[in-house]
Amino acid sequence: MTLALLILIPLAFALAVLLAPAERARFIALLGTLVAGVFAVFAVVSFDFGYAANRGQLGMDIDWLPSLGLSVSLGVDSVALWLIVLAALLGPLCVMGSWTAITEHRKMFYAWLLALQAAMTGVFAARDLVLFYICFEFTLIPMFVLIRVFGSTNRKAASVKFFLYTFTGSIIALAGLLYVVWFAARNGTGWTFDIEALTMAAYKMSAGEQSLVLLAMLAGFAVKVPLFPLHTWLPLAHTEAPTAGSVILAGVLLKLGTYGIYRFVLPFAPAAVVEYAPAIAVLCIVGIIYAGLICWVQTDVKKLVAYSSVSHLGFCVLGMVALNTTGLTGSVLYMINHGLSTGALFFLVGFMYERYHTRSMRELGGLASKMPIWGTFMVFFAMASVGLPGLNGFVSEFLCMLGAFQADAAWAGMEASTHGMPGATWGVLGPWFAAVAATGVVIAAMYLLYMVGRMCFGPLIEPAGHHDHHDAHDDGHAHLPPDLTPREIGVLLPLAALCLYLGLQPTPLMKTLEAPINDTVSLVRGSVERPDHNGAAPVHHEPAAGDEEGAGHETDDGHAGADAGEVVE
Amino acid sequence: MLAAGAVGQGGHGVVAQGAGHAVADGIASAASGPLWIAAVPALAMLGVVLTTFCAIFRIKSKLPAWLTVACLGGAFATTVGAYLHLQDAGVPLVVKAFTWFDLSWGKGPGQTLHADFAFYIDSLTCLWMLFVTGLATLIGLYASEYMSHDVGTGYCRFFAAFNLFVFSMTCLVMGENLLVLFLGWEGVGLCSYLLIGYFYKKPSAVAAGKKAFIVNRIGDFGLLMGVFLTFVKFGTLSFPELWPMVQPYIDMVKAGHGADVPFTVGLIPVLLMVGAFGKSAQLPLYVWLPDAMEGPTPVSALIHAATMVTAGVYLIARTYPMFLVSEYALPIVGWVGALTALLSATIGMAQFDIKRIMAYSTVSQLGYMFCGLAVLSSAGAAFHVFTHAFFKATLFLCCGAVMHGFAGQLDLRKLSGVGFMKGWGIVALAMLVGCLNLAGFPFTAGFFSKDMIIAESFVTPGPGYQLIGWILLLTAGLTAYYTFRVFFRVFVGPQCYEPGDEVHAHDEHGHEHGHDHGHDHGHDHGHGPETHGSESRATQSRATQSRATQSGATSSHFHPHAPGWAINLVLGTLAISSLAAAGTYLIGDGHGWAADMVHSSSANYVGAAAFLETAGHAEGEHAAHGSFLGMDPHKVMYYVSSIVGVIGIITAFVLHYMGRTTAATSRADALLPAMGPIAKWAQGKWYVDEFYNAVIVLPLRVLSHVFHTIDRLLVDGLVNLAGVLPRFVGSKVRPWQNGLLHGYAVGMAGGLAVLIGAVVLLSM
Repeated sequence: MTLALLILIPLAFALAVLLAPAERARFIALLGTLVAGVFAVFAVVSFDFGYAANRGQLGMDIDWLPSLGLSVSLGVDSVALWLIVLAALLGPLCVMGSWTAITEHRKMFYAWLLALQAAMTGVFAARDLVLFYICFEFTLIPMFVLIRVFGSTNRKAASVKFFLYTFTGSIIALAGLLYVVWFAARNGTGWTFDIEALTMAAYKMSAGEQSLVLLAMLAGFAVKVPLFPLHTWLPLAHTEAPTAGSVILAGVLLKLGTYGIYRFVLPFAPAAVVEYAPAIAVLCIVGIIYAGLICWVQTDVKKLVAYSSVSHLGFCVLGMVALNTTGLTGSVLYMINHGLSTGALFFLVGFMYERYHTRSMRELGGLASKMPIWGTFMVFFAMASVGLPGLNGFVSEFLCMLGAFQADAAWAGMEASTHGMPGATWGVLGPWFAAVAATGVVIAAMYLLYMVGRMCFGPLIEPAGHHDHHDAHDDGHAHLPPDLTPREIGVLLPLAALCLYLGLQPTPLMKTLEAPINDTVSLVRGSVERPDHNGAAPVHHEPAAGDEEGAGHETDDGHAGADAGEVVE
Repeated sequence: MLAAGAVGQGGHGVVAQGAGHAVADGIASAASGPLWIAAVPALAMLGVVLTTFCAIFRIKSKLPAWLTVACLGGAFATTVGAYLHLQDAGVPLVVKAFTWFDLSWGKGPGQTLHADFAFYIDSLTCLWMLFVTGLATLIGLYASEYMSHDVGTGYCRFFAAFNLFVFSMTCLVMGENLLVLFLGWEGVGLCSYLLIGYFYKKPSAVAAGKKAFIVNRIGDFGLLMGVFLTFVKFGTLSFPELWPMVQPYIDMVKAGHGADVPFTVGLIPVLLMVGAFGKSAQLPLYVWLPDAMEGPTPVSALIHAATMVTAGVYLIARTYPMFLVSEYALPIVGWVGALTALLSATIGMAQFDIKRIMAYSTVSQLGYMFCGLAVLSSAGAAFHVFTHAFFKATLFLCCGAVMHGFAGQLDLRKLSGVGFMKGWGIVALAMLVGCLNLAGFPFTAGFFSKDMIIAESFVTPGPGYQLIGWILLLTAGLTAYYTFRVFFRVFVGPQCYEPGDEVHAHDEHGHEHGHDHGHDHGHDHGHGPETHGSESRATQSRATQSRATQSGATSSHFHPHAPGWAINLVLGTLAISSLAAAGTYLIGDGHGWAADMVHSSSANYVGAAAFLETAGHAEGEHAAHGSFLGMDPHKVMYYVSSIVGVIGIITAFVLHYMGRTTAATSRADALLPAMGPIAKWAQGKWYVDEFYNAVIVLPLRVLSHVFHTIDRLLVDGLVNLAGVLPRFVGSKVRPWQNGLLHGYAVGMAGGLAVLIGAVVLLSM
């Protein structure tokens, strides 16, 4: 029930926003997101982490069209739970961050913002493919409106491109997903859209079918991530979107893509993933370096942060296709950490934009002397983003790269046997992937310090014609002091605290992810270790998730990788 | 330790036996230590928190400084306690604070990534901790006066970063595993970035900070790969767990099967050393350190001379067992160190900015330390780190006192006879002590520590180690020369001075006017525009220079203010400590207290003795007795290096003191024409910065712009094309939908034909 409430509460408040007077809109929205936040906390408390891999938790089932296998079926495992919590956390922060920035069409803005939160929660909470897809596509509409109505100068082109680009991708993904449904129906499950049932059935698909399904699904999810070279909608959309839109976009919407890969691509087409993982990893690495270098020559600070998302998400997907526990854990943590640190960077840029109405680093500089608190947060979140150990970014980046590095397929050739390499584990990438990707760490330092150096340090540069007291000619806009207000600090402080906490105490979070991730890993591994695809169903579906932990582990020894390597070629 | 002494004496016969013992008890298993040792970083962290609160509550007094000194003093006291506790315990101690990483994918060994936030205390750690916390306390006290013109937010910011640095540095040296070490490693990099860029309105300072961080990150890349490889190879990152795992390979080398050591094991130290070269400013990554002098002088003294830059030496000493099993790791370290030492000494000889001269001498001395590690004198390297920390901090703080008193003046051509001015006695004496140490004057601490390294390079067999010895000897002479060049020009001789450009600049940040500390006066002569700063920098420094000349004309209004009690107290203490450091050479057995500390840690010779032995077998008689011109290097080196050092000092005396009547010129100028372009090139720092700029930075920038263009035109262009295409097709197709029946019929027939054709083709 909790999940249903997490979806319905924002929707109800969205309705309330529409019915209430415009000047109350932001208060109602704040209340709504806070109530949702309370329920998110309640969800975490009532979640049974002993069965973290059990996807049916906190959920409910309502038959919708049983003859077609359609139902409203909700439930989460720990991975989905944390992403819902992330969305619920960013919700109130976005409302607070938009408090003064949005002065017109407030009802519309906050109503769509709340609807967006409901849709995102729905994506993560869905256990039913149709429900997932409806929510997945529905996120486009609020986001489209947010960009189209509340964006800056080039908002029309940005919103259209955002919509059409991601929509096209999703349609292709739908084809892949429906093929799996059709395949399952033909192979004995009957018409069902239950994701777990489909996972079990998809396992029997031939290698060729899996490849096609993989490519189709990837077309949709890779656009969403976005993976190089399908990323060009992102800088545009980010730059034009209002602050809250950018934060949600970077914080959660991009994660729909990585979550889609985790939830569908890996389980539905495991053998194909193994085959295509190196190719996907190459795209990730190209993206990391390419987008990183592009960041380095940006003059628009928001575009810089936007491109940095492309670079960062490259690490995230790299960890994902490392296909081992380390990489996948790093990847899931990356989704959360990137949401916190990049979300915060977008807030910072937004707060600055509210004061100066420009994002050009040619017109701005040395703001730390005028806005010391802002500057301090800027340095802090830049460091979180750059992957400084002790802050959250490092943990996930380290794990993603280590996951790629320790893949034994590559080590098997380097030493007589991987017996001598206890730290190596199954995987199809290898040290070279990690080594090349790690140059991204240097590049990240280059562009983030370039940004901090330009924006915060150096002699103070303010746009021509900027006055501190611009409320005289700026009707409707509340007067903002030079430095951050307590409200703005209140937006950033929770994010900063979480960055620090997750940097020093990632283990509790990691532990909750261990069970579902180990299941996914053993599922993917299993697909290549049993040459006939009609082998036993994956461990995944045993109801008692508590016992599952061991299942993947016992087979995990040095030999397996070499064998796996042969199968995959 | 027996083995250590034996190797030190160069007795070949004893070595084999001694090595056996060392291997047996060299790597003692660790015991769990008391939690109060964790107070060392915790107190530094407390300092960060307290100074941050000072900033929040806008404290406008010297309170942050006193809080810092109190916290760091407490940390030092705790360190001393830890040292005494370690002496009692006799085995390395492990103190766990909390679990950091814990992730498992199996139940077998190595299938868990486990890294505690834990500390590993052995004597090597203690050696570093003692001087890190001790010097940090003293320099914090010095900074309380030095930074006094910035009391307010800037003061809080300075001390917060200062404390954070000490926290990171203690994590670095106390880390129980490579991950905690890496945390400290990156943390000190961050603090270095923040503190170099302390005067953040100065573009050159911001650029220098950025450069330091990025160049360090290149090194960190290597270190990170080393960490990965260590984990994959050994399944753990914890030092006490690693040593027993490396042991079989050491035994392998000892048994003469060095070639059988797996490639991956031999690769680990090579990757780790890249990190060390970055942090310790060695070739090819040394370029950030001279620029780092943009930071306030206490920072230069603590971070960029005494402590942080020795982190690379610490890393190699800490992971010494891994370096010993690789055939090529230590020789690379040695050659890089020797070449860096020589190169930076030649640059140091030609600079005019006294702080930069000291920076290059730091790079050079770090080169010595790396050579020490390479020639199996980890004790010599660590001892040199220890002595260097004291005398280089002294030297920097003296330079800082001069800079503070003369409004930012650092050009040795504009200062003379400072030591004879009223109130500058202690500074001059401390400077003399520091210079003697750096020059390796007989019986100073620097003399003993440098000597150990040079002598060992002649003793230890290895690829070209004899030549390394000669390079180091030559460099010692050059070092003595450029060190005393500074002393003879600035501190003695006729009294005259020209104040720097901060004369009127003691307002809010102290640097509103002074865009440059006068750093650029020195090398503005040699070459064109600066390349590492912003484009506008060259013009700026030219502007500053003219201002400086103006203020020189009006210097009668300017009175240098002599240092106050805090600076004098610290300088006196440090000068005495640097002298006393020599005393530690005489206590203990073998090569003094510091050497004993190293020998009872994992940086012991363990395999070194074995290494000597196998290498000896490999290279025959020649290697068995390293010699210096047919004599025993251990005995003769004391005399040789004394002579070399004294020659350097006398040369400086003749060229820069005798007959000098003004600050600006000396007899050395007469020699310049004879040197041809060499002097100019050395002044231009051999144009390494320009070279990097042209070969790396510029192409990368061009590439980035190319990528950006491609992204907009090609990648996005294709997308836009795909967007336009349907509309285009639509506009072409629309006329067909004209409502005429026969048209549709034709279309339908055509479509059917295609479909049938396709089915037929497929079924075939």
